[in-house]
Amino acid sequence: MFLKFFYTLREVGIPVSPTSFLTLQKALHKGMINSLDDFYTCARAVLVKSERYFDLYDQVFAHHFDGVPLPEDGGFEIDEMARGMLDEWLKNPKQMADALGMDEATLKKMTPDELIEYFKTRLKDQDGRHDGGSKWIGTGGTSPVGHSGYHPGGMRVGGESRNKSAVKVANERRYKDYSTQGPLTQAKMGEALKRLRNLVPSGARDKINIDETIKETLRNGGEIELLFDRALKDRLKVILAIDNGGWSMDPYIRVVQTLFDYARSQFKEVKTYFFHNTIYDYVWEDSARYKKPKNIMEFSRLDPDTRLIILGDASMAPYELMAHDGSIHITERSGRPSLDQLKFLAKTFPHTVWLNPVSESMWGYTHSIMAISKLFPMYELSLDGLEKAVEKLMAKN
Amino acid sequence: MNQTADNEFHGAKKYVLDTELASIVNISMKLEMPLLLKGEPGTGKTMLAHAIADTLSMPLIVLNVKSSMKLVEALYQYDTLTRLNDSRFGDSKRDVSNIDEYIKMGKIGQAFCADKRTVLLIDEIDKADTDFQDDMLDVLDQMQFDIIETDKTVCAKHRPVIIITSNAKKDLSDPFLGRCNFHHIAFPEPKMMRKIIGVHFDRIDERLAENAINAFYSLREIEAIEKKPATRELINWIRALNADPDFNAKDLVKGSMPFLGVLFKKSPDYERAKSLTSRRKMF
Repeated sequence: MFLKFFYTLREVGIPVSPTSFLTLQKALHKGMINSLDDFYTCARAVLVKSERYFDLYDQVFAHHFDGVPLPEDGGFEIDEMARGMLDEWLKNPKQMADALGMDEATLKKMTPDELIEYFKTRLKDQDGRHDGGSKWIGTGGTSPVGHSGYHPGGMRVGGESRNKSAVKVANERRYKDYSTQGPLTQAKMGEALKRLRNLVPSGARDKINIDETIKETLRNGGEIELLFDRALKDRLKVILAIDNGGWSMDPYIRVVQTLFDYARSQFKEVKTYFFHNTIYDYVWEDSARYKKPKNIMEFSRLDPDTRLIILGDASMAPYELMAHDGSIHITERSGRPSLDQLKFLAKTFPHTVWLNPVSESMWGYTHSIMAISKLFPMYELSLDGLEKAVEKLMAKN
Repeated sequence: MNQTADNEFHGAKKYVLDTELASIVNISMKLEMPLLLKGEPGTGKTMLAHAIADTLSMPLIVLNVKSSMKLVEALYQYDTLTRLNDSRFGDSKRDVSNIDEYIKMGKIGQAFCADKRTVLLIDEIDKADTDFQDDMLDVLDQMQFDIIETDKTVCAKHRPVIIITSNAKKDLSDPFLGRCNFHHIAFPEPKMMRKIIGVHFDRIDERLAENAINAFYSLREIEAIEKKPATRELINWIRALNADPDFNAKDLVKGSMPFLGVLFKKSPDYERAKSLTSRRKMF
């Protein structure tokens, strides 16, 4: 039963396992599921193991039991084109409205997100591939995008949702807020960084060592001799170097801020430095990169076990990296190109990673990213990337 | 205690139950699978286990997971030190040659050995590392474990109702997830919150509750707050407002927010909320 439903779930990318499907069958056989509502909640609890997929599950459920079309994978191009159209619209609304054959006033009523959605559907209609997409339009009556659920407010929760049928609840897509596209929040980061620790014995000797105690007691001829050890404590040293300059980092300020806040609250020995684009002779302790410069040559005196995390988009003109006088600040031209300085850092700290907020799929297009990723293991600043980076940082050698 | 004939869970005195969650709890109990609960702190994950134990009048056993915990500690403990002492001084009633006398059951062991069905709450599983989690699920799956020292197997007399909570945003490992049912408790909506408040306060001024809840949700909206106030904080806040004789419920609408420290526990959050609310008062 419900095989097709199960496979649709798999197709849209929800990791549902055959075992859990069998469990669901068991529940059906035991007569625990007597209505569609029961099925909705039960199948979700049994099959879907993360709230990130609740939104997708709702969509598939609505598709399977009510024929609501699944959203097409619009893909990158359509997103980009729609964004371009939005820019165009902001510049010249009238022209855009004319081009689409829409009333300017109608378009004006829409929020930016609704506009993007609307542009996307129009784009899909125009190349004639996705007729299904047009079903979204018109259902809502007044709003051209209908109840597609992409409301900027996020989850739409309609008052007494309990009295509605499961299909309706599924159609509301209450779990949109939790889907994978969500921003990288502090809690998520904390999860990823939790593994980043180095436990070494420290503090008072207050933990009993059974093996040694027994050994000593035997040697003592049965006279009990208690032996104590120090408890394990986290002693990991972390240096966080953040690129906070230049317009190219502007879109990522928020996510970087989150990482910074987390690091400060989590690690006892964390030092934060700032730089602009890439590292030359100095990094700065103050975010204005003005008051407290620190010569990176001094880093060689630090514990080589220190974990160095560099955070930046690594996007700059090639000469900034290669030239002897590459720095855009005249005061820090020591004659060593930034590339050499980065090599020095990589050599000083064997445990170094570079976190890049730029999406990994775009790295190949920027020369400086390619050059830097040859020096440091580079990871995307996303939940997955962070996890990989932590794994790398904690790897032995 | 309103124990129903078919042992179903319908909610407790101090716990407002969402029907969706109730059916998931009942299904997990019938399928004999652990239920994994995730959700923001303060959405009542832990409270649910208390409520189930209360309603079905089963004893509740709580295993608070710690980051340094080993699985064996949750199962049983072999008290070597006491045995060593007893063998040295020989003045206890225990039989030193019988290792069984020095085995103490851990929380999971207690749940297995209990004479009646229990509710076993495994709180904040995400604190432990993945190995712990997977190994524990093996034990819970087979409902038995071995005591190495005595070479005995402990089998569960009654399969406990297992509730596992996790604060993590990250997913637990696949084998773990494969063995339990899952539910995510969303933060309650204002209407639900009103019910929750109603359950916690016998007599409360309608206007105070209404205004406090509104103010609470607007405070939760403040951007860049590290730790958002949750249900627990709201209840304490209303308690504080109730206790203050000078307080008038109308003030909340005007934007004056006393006792912000009850809601915001981190100093940057507190400062932020304070500066924002005092600014609002000016207008």
